[in-house]
Amino acid sequence: MDDFQTGLVELLPRLRRFARVLRTRDADAQDLVQQTVERALAARSKFRVGTRLDSWAFTIMRRIAIDEGRSLQRWGRVVSPENETTARVPDATQADEGLRADALAVRDAIHALPEDQRYAVALVLVEGLSYAEAAQVLGVPAGTLTSRLVRGRQSLMQTLAAQGVTG
Amino acid sequence: MSKIDDGALMRLIDGELSPQEAERIKAAALVDPAVAARLEGMRRLRAVASEAFPVAADPRDQVLAGLITAKAAAPRFPLAHLGRALADAFAPRRAALWGGLATAAFVGGVLLGPYFSEADRSLAVGAGGALADADLVRVLDTRLAADGADGDGRSVGLTFRDDEGRWCRTFRADESRLAGLACRQQDGWTMRVLAPSAGAPGEVRTAGADTPDAVLTAIDAAISGDTLDAAAEARARDSGWR
Repeated sequence: MDDFQTGLVELLPRLRRFARVLRTRDADAQDLVQQTVERALAARSKFRVGTRLDSWAFTIMRRIAIDEGRSLQRWGRVVSPENETTARVPDATQADEGLRADALAVRDAIHALPEDQRYAVALVLVEGLSYAEAAQVLGVPAGTLTSRLVRGRQSLMQTLAAQGVTG
Repeated sequence: MSKIDDGALMRLIDGELSPQEAERIKAAALVDPAVAARLEGMRRLRAVASEAFPVAADPRDQVLAGLITAKAAAPRFPLAHLGRALADAFAPRRAALWGGLATAAFVGGVLLGPYFSEADRSLAVGAGGALADADLVRVLDTRLAADGADGDGRSVGLTFRDDEGRWCRTFRADESRLAGLACRQQDGWTMRVLAPSAGAPGEVRTAGADTPDAVLTAIDAAISGDTLDAAAEARARDSGWR
């Protein structure tokens, strides 16, 4: 295995974690990870040695997820107006892993955020990327990233305070 | 709430403030319980959020690791691979495709010859993959993603520059059930990839949705930077794709 492959294998758990923030259902998260790996392998000549593999792979996943998300939304509109609510119901297959109640509440609240805020929260709060790195992954200016992050956080804190979880 | 807004508190928690700024916020929190409480709430949120999505080993990662390792062993001819995948995808639908196909199946320099009769080739493609279909050229030249599809179901999706600085645009031709990627070259458009697309003609859709994997892969391989937003796309068109 070369460095690229080793790096990608080591990255798998984090790719899966990012996917699980973006997708509620475990099977969808798995699809997203697999597609990202395939795309990363196909595009490996574009990866510049010395740059961050995690940001690069997250960018690939973000592109796939957004493209898929658009088609899911369209499908939802065409097929069934109640799709949006059903999609929010946490999937039993996404295991609870013995999480504390507040962690579970935060997970659901993050899944319920609007897409652009959820991506910002996923990269900074969950993945621990810097604002500059997260903005690059999302392909948005730093100011846009920070305003999404502020709105996402405010909404999370509101939701959780209402549930008596934090604050 | 004084001069300390949530943005500043958030930057402090995320380690994005200069040491001086950080000191200023911490000092404010010492004298203002409301700021202190807000800061503590944010700190907790960050801790709980990362706890909510733990990094966990998953047996399926082994399978993916196998995929990653196997890819290296195979000779790396991405275009040939893409060509094969496309050919496979075309094969069962050949008859249906030919009738509606007004462009060439030209994949990164490899013409999918076996799938086109001599007659079809005449309406296909010029030397080097130059796009000869006047209607599609017009769509690529003038249409914006926000315009949606024209009367014949042709639309553009994403616009971006490739490594060489060329403008590239994805498109769909729903009547032909095709989607592809073309890049600007010498006052014309050159086909990079063309693939069958899912979805029936006339179906409600968002531009850019349902892009076939082969096209997405080609985008990832070609793109430099990010895709254009609507305003930048309009500017690029108005300046004639220079």
